[in-house]
Amino acid sequence: MDTRSKSKLGHLLIAKSMAEALLITAVSVGFYFVTTNPYLRGVLDYADGRTVAGWAVDEAQPAARVEVQLYIDGIFVADQAAGEFRPDLRAAKRAEDDWHGFVFKLPPIPPGEHEARVYAAHTSVAGARRTLQMIGKPLRFRVAGSDKGDAPR
Amino acid sequence: MSPVAKDEQDSDAQLTTDTGDRKLAAWEVASVVSSILIAEWIAASVAGGSRLVVAIPIALAFTFMIVSHRLRSETLRDLGFRFDNFFRAGLMLLLPMVLVTVVCLATGRWFGGQINFQGWHAGTPLTGQLALVFGWGLAQQYVLQGFINRRAQLISGKGWLSVLLVAAVFSALHLPNVWLVVVTFAGGLVWAAVYQRAPNLFAVALSHSLMTWVLVSTLPASLLHHLRIGVKYFG
Repeated sequence: MDTRSKSKLGHLLIAKSMAEALLITAVSVGFYFVTTNPYLRGVLDYADGRTVAGWAVDEAQPAARVEVQLYIDGIFVADQAAGEFRPDLRAAKRAEDDWHGFVFKLPPIPPGEHEARVYAAHTSVAGARRTLQMIGKPLRFRVAGSDKGDAPR
Repeated sequence: MSPVAKDEQDSDAQLTTDTGDRKLAAWEVASVVSSILIAEWIAASVAGGSRLVVAIPIALAFTFMIVSHRLRSETLRDLGFRFDNFFRAGLMLLLPMVLVTVVCLATGRWFGGQINFQGWHAGTPLTGQLALVFGWGLAQQYVLQGFINRRAQLISGKGWLSVLLVAAVFSALHLPNVWLVVVTFAGGLVWAAVYQRAPNLFAVALSHSLMTWVLVSTLPASLLHHLRIGVKYFG
């Protein structure tokens, strides 16, 4: 094999590596945008032993009600469409109408420290994938002894 | 010296190398293997129903291999697309194939699986399925022997080290399916060793398809995990 051919082969290997690096980058970025909703906005406002509340808006579809799921200590508790009355969101220009809040009424929870997380469900690839995206930040709350009850199932 | 043996010796003469060429050959092997791993593990995990994403790295690898053959002045005959040494290669493969068949039959009985040589694929006639797997085997053996084995010989010369490298690459590409890793390592050793003595891709591809038929007919599908590899193994 002559020097010129070796040089060509080396260049080809570099070009192929670059093409594959670009492919992996495109696939990774594409995967992110397919499996997450970059237009999702929301906040988890409040959590205690009885209620978890907040709001969620999909800015790409401002008229739609976002499906939200509540998890306490990592265990699924309930889901609902975020369609509760929240006039403050429209006033703050976060939504186009007044109906993007969510309020979960909790089942009895054992005393102690707990953590509430609310996720928005996102469906992609014609329903083949369903991913969860956390709304705002998790909130910790304490349940006093008198509120004793069963753990969520 | 017979014309066939002389021809194979001429083909070997192309495989003499210097250090720079060894490094280049190692890079070529790494590049093709990385393309297949990208297809198996990254593209397949995000492709969903689309096969286009998986086809891109595979197309890149095949394009690269074809250009590499041209730059190294390798002919189709050098690669093993020939018939003159078909029976010589076939004879070398015969005993290992019989042994593997006996081992598979015994293992299949041991695991209590139903041995059925007729029911490979529901809805496809056996001959059609065999032809399909022969084509698939030929493509795999072209990459494995026609490219990786020849480059492995540039790296470490003919012999057990290059044979071991080919078998290791072949089995690694079947991760995480443990049974397939074991089987393909054994198959890789035999096919690579036979190819180095009688480079004939049709013979190794035929052996590949027949051994796949024996495997799926004798061993339980649960053991082979339906021959799934890469990220699809978990799907």
